[in-house]
Amino acid sequence: MQPTNPKFEGTDLNLSLTTGTGVSKKDAKPSDPQPKMKLTPEEQEIFDGKHGEIRQKAMKTIVSYGEWFGAEKLVDLTGPVHMALSWGSGAIAPLLEIYEQIIDAGIKTYKPFTANPMPMDHENLAPAPEKREEFDATYSNQERLIEDLLKLGLIDRDSFSCSSYLPEAGNTPKKGDYLAWTESSAINYSNSVIGSRTNRNSVGMDMLCNILGKTPYFGLMTDEGRKAKWLIDVRTKKRPRSMVLGSAIGLKVLEDIPYIIGVDKFLDELPEEQKLSWLKDMGATTASNGAVGLYHVEGTTPEAIEKGRDLLVDDYQTYVIDDEELDRIYNSYPNLWPEGAKPEQVFVGCPHFTVEQLRLSSEKLQEGLKEAGIDTPVLPVHLFAGKKVADAFAKRYPKEAKYFEDVGVKIAHNCPVMYMQTPVISDEPIITSSNKCRVYSIARFFYDKNLMHIITTGELPKEIQKEEEKYE
Amino acid sequence: MSKIFKGRPLLQGNAEELAEVSHVGFSPTASYIDVVFKNSKSGIIQDHDNADLYGRDITGKILCLPQSIGSSAGACMMMAAAKVHILPKAMLFSNHVDSLSACGLLMAHNFLEEPIIAIDMLGDEFLNAVKTGDKIKVSEDGTVEIEE
Repeated sequence: MQPTNPKFEGTDLNLSLTTGTGVSKKDAKPSDPQPKMKLTPEEQEIFDGKHGEIRQKAMKTIVSYGEWFGAEKLVDLTGPVHMALSWGSGAIAPLLEIYEQIIDAGIKTYKPFTANPMPMDHENLAPAPEKREEFDATYSNQERLIEDLLKLGLIDRDSFSCSSYLPEAGNTPKKGDYLAWTESSAINYSNSVIGSRTNRNSVGMDMLCNILGKTPYFGLMTDEGRKAKWLIDVRTKKRPRSMVLGSAIGLKVLEDIPYIIGVDKFLDELPEEQKLSWLKDMGATTASNGAVGLYHVEGTTPEAIEKGRDLLVDDYQTYVIDDEELDRIYNSYPNLWPEGAKPEQVFVGCPHFTVEQLRLSSEKLQEGLKEAGIDTPVLPVHLFAGKKVADAFAKRYPKEAKYFEDVGVKIAHNCPVMYMQTPVISDEPIITSSNKCRVYSIARFFYDKNLMHIITTGELPKEIQKEEEKYE
Repeated sequence: MSKIFKGRPLLQGNAEELAEVSHVGFSPTASYIDVVFKNSKSGIIQDHDNADLYGRDITGKILCLPQSIGSSAGACMMMAAAKVHILPKAMLFSNHVDSLSACGLLMAHNFLEEPIIAIDMLGDEFLNAVKTGDKIKVSEDGTVEIEE
């Protein structure tokens, strides 16, 4: 089921019935053993209120949460912290009151943290004044939220990005680290590509875990919980588009873990940075079109390299994906635009782009405009990347950064999905190369060749051209 | 004759009230969208993708649902609803509880002291049997009785 109205706020929307943790509990019964958490003496003291009321409430909450999902213990967090809450609408006031109680008690997260991108970037998106005003009224708690996050341990005001795990953003976990993250794409990348361990948490629960420096040990935190219930057998003739393959996988497996074969030979042809961005985008799509918290790619991701097909459970299911299946998936996407609407803007970079993806975008745009015989795009084009990644791009590739400036392409630092979900914006006909944007808004998703046609003509393509993607 | 089902009591309590039934996932964000964006204090459900609940006031009722769905911020929306006292009296899940409801329920219960009852794993049979307007009796051991 797809949303028929882009009315949702936040970035982890999933309309399938799942536990949302990244761990299916389809076969659970009330008669199953209900474990009681075994706490260490220090944890018990916190639970009993000897370290203050706030820590006690936080501990009671994460213990109950863990017990509901079958955890028998807590584990100490070891890696960096990333949390999703970055939008300050009126509705978050009750949560901010709790955050302010934490601040008043002199408590911070156990390590400094990064947060998801904010909903707006007026400087780079430049909405019309009346829209800007309405936007600011919708997010009336934005500045209060930022101030609170800084007091709780946010690294700095440039630390808002869903791809904060990238080296330039400086919040990269290590293999084996225990984390308590929110943001589905960041969780998916850190679990799968880096090999650190986090469940899919909810906003609020993430903060409680990270002020205590502990999280319940269940699901994706455990070896058993990281086994794959699906073998995904990719039989395409060429390297599949990451965000269509991820969509097919997510829609099929929902929150089960897929073990993907048949793509490593394509990925081995790519330079390392492009391979990682392909994995980032493929994974983010499994997490948004489904609710996948972890995937394995044979011969590519760290646990698949170590354990191979031993990661599959005994009674795994198989899903074969060929070019026809990807066409079927692509053709199933609904057009949610108002009748007769024409594209007005182009949004590219969800999840936030890497330095290499920004460079490739510059190359693609130069080629596309040259081929069309024009100097600048016909429609406004916005790329999305974290501030620190965009700064690193400008330093590493000054010529390409200058090119964007010359042709009027802006790199914005906000979250395109949240921007598009805000009521004053939500009916704008936007085109995108992100299948995550598509699923959370009315934005229409196109393959690159079609996208370039729209950028250079302002018109929708007459037919789908899904040539092998030269770049990802 | 009453129909009796047994689930897992998550947040225990006793209650008797009329049922509101959703056969599709309950989205806290979409349901309380006017609470989110317009500071509404109404418990009338705004999610027009949910044909079962759209336009109905579930404040103080017993909400019967499979699971909740939607943004990971759904727990914030449940807390926003708790703050203005428009949550249902009890949430009865046919499936295993999900992370959105788990977080929203626990934070509302522990931080806002909202006395909400929750039971999960009542099974598909429960959701097939219960109808909106049925009188429901909930017991703290996880027993749910649909009175005829």
